[in-house]
Amino acid sequence: MINPPPKRPSFAFVLGKSGAYAVLIVGLIGTLLPFFYIIVSSLKTTAELRQTPPDFFPKQPTFEHYTTILQDKDIPIAQNLANSVFVSVMRVVITLFTSSYAGYIFAKYHFKGKNLAFGIILIQIMIPFQVVMIPNYLLTVKLGLIDSLWALIVPAFIDAYGIFMMKQFIEALPAELMDAARIDGASEFGIYSRIVLPQMGPPLASLGIFTFMATWNDYLWPLIVLTSPEKRTIPLLVVWFQTAHVSNQGLVLAASILTLLPIFVVYIFLQRWIVDQATSSAFK
Amino acid sequence: MKKLLFVFVLASLLLAACGGGAATEAPASNEPVEIRVWGHQAPAFNEANQKMFNDFMAANPNVTIKYETFPWDVFIQTIQTSLPAGNTADVILVPGGYTCRYASGGQLLEVPADVMTLDAAKGIFFDAPLGGQTCDGKLYGFPAEYNLEYGGAYVNPALFEAAGVAYPPAWANWDAVVEDAKKMTTIGSDGVMTVAGMHYTNSDQLFTYFLAGILEQGGNYFAEDGRHFNFNSPEAVATIQKLMDMAQKDHIVDPIIFNADSEWVGDSFAQGHNAIGVLGSWYAGDAKIGYPDLVFDYVALPPMMGSEHKFVSVGGWGYVVGKSAKHADIAWKLAAFLGADEANVLYFNSTSATIPAMKSVAADAKYVEAVPFASAVLPILDKGAYQGDLTDPDQLAYEIIYPTILDAIQGNITAEEAANSINEAANAMVDAAQ
Amino acid sequence: MAFNTLFKKDLVTETGKLTAKQRRFAYASLTPILLYMGVFTLFPILWAVVMSFFSYSPIREGSGFLGLGGANPFIDIDNYIELFTGTSKPAEVFRLALKNTFIFTALVLPLNLLVTLPLAVILESIGERFKTLFRAIYFLPTISSSVALVIIWSYVYAPGWGLLSLMFKAIGLVPPKSWLQDPSLVYFGVPLAMICVVIAHVWQDFGYNLVIFVAALQSIPKTLREAARVDGANAWQEFWLVVVPLLRRTVLLTSVLTVISSLQVFVIFQLLTRGGPKNQTQTLLLSIYENAFKFANNLGLSAAMSMVLFIIILTLTIIQFRLLRTEWEY
Repeated sequence: MINPPPKRPSFAFVLGKSGAYAVLIVGLIGTLLPFFYIIVSSLKTTAELRQTPPDFFPKQPTFEHYTTILQDKDIPIAQNLANSVFVSVMRVVITLFTSSYAGYIFAKYHFKGKNLAFGIILIQIMIPFQVVMIPNYLLTVKLGLIDSLWALIVPAFIDAYGIFMMKQFIEALPAELMDAARIDGASEFGIYSRIVLPQMGPPLASLGIFTFMATWNDYLWPLIVLTSPEKRTIPLLVVWFQTAHVSNQGLVLAASILTLLPIFVVYIFLQRWIVDQATSSAFK
Repeated sequence: MKKLLFVFVLASLLLAACGGGAATEAPASNEPVEIRVWGHQAPAFNEANQKMFNDFMAANPNVTIKYETFPWDVFIQTIQTSLPAGNTADVILVPGGYTCRYASGGQLLEVPADVMTLDAAKGIFFDAPLGGQTCDGKLYGFPAEYNLEYGGAYVNPALFEAAGVAYPPAWANWDAVVEDAKKMTTIGSDGVMTVAGMHYTNSDQLFTYFLAGILEQGGNYFAEDGRHFNFNSPEAVATIQKLMDMAQKDHIVDPIIFNADSEWVGDSFAQGHNAIGVLGSWYAGDAKIGYPDLVFDYVALPPMMGSEHKFVSVGGWGYVVGKSAKHADIAWKLAAFLGADEANVLYFNSTSATIPAMKSVAADAKYVEAVPFASAVLPILDKGAYQGDLTDPDQLAYEIIYPTILDAIQGNITAEEAANSINEAANAMVDAAQ
Repeated sequence: MAFNTLFKKDLVTETGKLTAKQRRFAYASLTPILLYMGVFTLFPILWAVVMSFFSYSPIREGSGFLGLGGANPFIDIDNYIELFTGTSKPAEVFRLALKNTFIFTALVLPLNLLVTLPLAVILESIGERFKTLFRAIYFLPTISSSVALVIIWSYVYAPGWGLLSLMFKAIGLVPPKSWLQDPSLVYFGVPLAMICVVIAHVWQDFGYNLVIFVAALQSIPKTLREAARVDGANAWQEFWLVVVPLLRRTVLLTSVLTVISSLQVFVIFQLLTRGGPKNQTQTLLLSIYENAFKFANNLGLSAAMSMVLFIIILTLTIIQFRLLRTEWEY
């Protein structure tokens, strides 16, 4: 007689259950400790930050760096935050529209030159940003978009990854739905907006979250095209503090945490979705 | 939404067709005008500038000045990317050594003759800073200060006293400086240097002292054609050897812990990590704001390689007007107000603790009263010259000379190897630019 | 055209013949999109290619189309010759950067797999609730701003009193004087600064591969593994004979993705080490950036550098697409 197989075969055979948890917790500490360290450091006074050797925890936690950064009239931080939000939201809205719309055309219409058109879109995936960074910069100059938030938005109207992802999803929608709508007299655009779009909640949400995070954290392109202080996005502010001549580490830390915080808040609510999407998009 | 997208694309194409056509407007004299000014993010500079802007606006009620500042790294990049884009501020406070590069590319306006001629400027300003605002025999701006990374150093009285070294120091020669520095160097229990006797291993300092060391010995760093370099002369090798010996034999600095990338001399000094910090006097103004409790003095340093001071300067910050300035006339008026008006120049140099580019201000008792420690370097100002056309000063200073000499100081190559390597790379740079 | 055949499978799933009206709609919709792609994708690519044959700097007033000409002359393939044979500093730094970029990638990939594969296997074996929690936390660095992460790592690697030095001292080890700035510390031909950057990057990036591997492990049909058990395989044999072969393709594809993304790492090099010490962490992308935007504004040379990067990445992307084209079957 053979033994019945265990319900969940465990691969942590070498370590055993507690060993497995031990490894995971070590990894957890390794991941969180650096975050934790700068969060507590941001609450230290300037004197404590300069003290050697430093203490891990602040003696008298203070929010002075946060209040300084939020109140300094030379640093339009509210404006910078608003810029980040504006650019991120605009890019999400536009990407969701163009991706789903183009994805719909590519998924459900058959016409001459479609493969070529799709090929052109895919070229964008194959070109690393850095290769076209210089011409894109010069193009932005020619378009008169330098030092405008639109310089972060206009070149990102079309997201090839987004189109690709949406096309995969729309292809799986049954054609009968669309045919039925056509018989009822719906226009082609009406089919997209009333039949296709309502079915696309989950993939649109995932694409939206990823676009939002990527835009929020974007650094190199904004660094190149934005010059006025009131046009800056949040990551540029961190660099601004970090490279200032009289370094004030407290402000650098506070700015870093203000950069991380909004994304963390979004992540806490949507982490499952985000992680699942990261997983599945990698296979497409 | 589809229409919206269409409009965007169409609009971008249209913009592409007619981009870059910003014309210079000539406003009526009392029409409201906004003048944008760009400057370096240095607290002392800002404080000084802001007051002068207010004065200018009070005298010219139709003008509003918008002042934007950037940290060094961001500033250089911002200027470089915006100039060709025609998106710079009207008046820009550019760092020394950059004016000619932009001017020769056609990106800056020449100072109008009715504002100031080059001949007039020669009588007003010291040669070194004026050289930084001149290009091909034409004047492109007003020097705001005389950049001097040479001839002076910050000293920390607490560290002097703790080591039993006489304070304030009265150094007769360079060896005396090194002797004092040796006494103040402190090594921690783990064998790591915690206080450097003298921090001279910063990028601008190694660059400045390398060139000055050659000149002090009577050498010249330009080749005969005036464009190529002669960086492997005996004088150059001796200078590098001296810079190496101070770290390797005298141990007054650990060049791995103390250098431009790992511990910048200014912050290092302010935190008590070096007793003598070799750095321009301009830092004093920032230090007073950033480290209000800091007690320090700025003192004269004797020549390092010869018996007399001799050096070159990168020029200094200067006010220029970009070619895309919308109101060039008002921009020049402001630039002259800031950089050529004696009372304002006195105010600026006094407040920002910078060395005056204007001769009369340097001689003014009120300046010495306001910036007493500047008297350490005032006697040597006319011993300096402009550094000349270095092809690409940044590449030469920060990519070629500084890293190579630091490498030698860190003990990885000999002085001869360093000199040869600098010579080769510097001349290759000139060849590549031709 | 490789593209035409690449996704044939997708393109044949059609709903049937379309009417003229529908075709018109498709063309009308795609025209602006393609026009846009022409302006913002194809045009910049062509521009970059053309520029790499010019001595071009935007601070010089050129003449002719796009300022290419006059003071910005055509110089044939001189930029490329300079990059690969020149003695100027930018050319030397470029060749060093090319080498460093490969070293970086060659270290990141194995270290990443060494961390993520075992961790995924362990993670997959524990209960659902904790799995979700751990997975979410491990993924945290990947969603964080690179700029802020660089600040974090500058505290970890700070000389003397940084988090890492403090930890070394706490367990009785002597930390190096400087983690990021001592050019003489080289281990097995790899500078310490580079090792530090590799570790920081893997920390920032391992979450992606981890969740992919966990998902791949979960998608292996239970029946396969149970069957192996029934046949008398122990856990070790089951792992090597059933799981590893099925995981092979995922690992391969993920590896290509990791390599491509490693070639494009920028922020950490620009802000944490600035390419130093002694250019030991200078990478291709940093060289492109510095030549174009910081030093002599030599955009022609930078464009030539980016063409080199492009060819490397293009090669890898073609490999990636070939891997993608093959079916996934579990």
